[in-house]
Amino acid sequence: MISCTEFIPAYSELFRFLEQKGGEGAVLDFWEYLSSEGLGLLRDLVIRHGIRGCYLYWSHTLNEEAADFTMTLDEEAGRFSIQMHRCPSKGRLLECGHIVPYRNYCGHCDVLYRRVLEPLGYRYDYDLSACGHAACSLTVEQIRN
Amino acid sequence: MAREIMRRSASDNKYLHRDFHASLNLGLEYLRRRFGDESVREYLRQFALAFYAPLKQALREKGLDAVKEHYLQIFAVEEALDCLELASSAGELTVFVKRCPAVAHIRAGGAEVSPLFDETTNTVMKAVCEDTPYSFELVSYDAQTGASTQRFFKRRLGQ
Repeated sequence: MISCTEFIPAYSELFRFLEQKGGEGAVLDFWEYLSSEGLGLLRDLVIRHGIRGCYLYWSHTLNEEAADFTMTLDEEAGRFSIQMHRCPSKGRLLECGHIVPYRNYCGHCDVLYRRVLEPLGYRYDYDLSACGHAACSLTVEQIRN
Repeated sequence: MAREIMRRSASDNKYLHRDFHASLNLGLEYLRRRFGDESVREYLRQFALAFYAPLKQALREKGLDAVKEHYLQIFAVEEALDCLELASSAGELTVFVKRCPAVAHIRAGGAEVSPLFDETTNTVMKAVCEDTPYSFELVSYDAQTGASTQRFFKRRLGQ
């Protein structure tokens, strides 16, 4: 058994392995598959609760992942955001020392959630500019006509 | 219409996101269906050689105590020490897993467990033992529960 606490290095190595097999396209294909097959809960929560569904989804995952974050929900504005002060996944990869994180490790967070939220009528902005320090931010905004 | 803010530090929670077991299972199934069974083993071996390099080194230096410590550590963190039994004899360690916490969590979520899920033990531990004085054998494995008997033993000359 690979412990769930060892999953992030396994994930990073899987991205690297896929790139060796089929280039960046193979990694992207995998992320699209994960988005379709592995994010049913986020999809269901947003369909059922609207923008609050994001808050409900990430309340669960970010607490279990022991992340250092500030999460804000503004239902009136139709806006949800996460300021990730220290991403537990990227942070662990950077601290690991004996393995090198997949060069676009953080790219999966852009692809996975965007593919769920945009078709449901939300704008998804993801700022990766500080991901080298295990920090990032994302904003989800309801598109109103 | 509510406005809510949640602020958490890493120290506020224990790092234990069991859904990662399901994510790994999805990854193995993707590889198996897209690239074939052998690609799953190839990936797991590559991962094990990279990530478990410190365990391999400890196995060379400390012998099977290093493996014992590894199992105790991962089953403790998974809150599943009651699923684990270890038996040592000269140059040999037998690991009895009564129920695999990863398989239990994947099944509890309603997903099918990859038919190659046992390779997360078999391929991984064989890779850890490569280039050490030890060998690994997955003696038995129950795909339904992940229960298994695993054996680490001193390699004979020429093996």
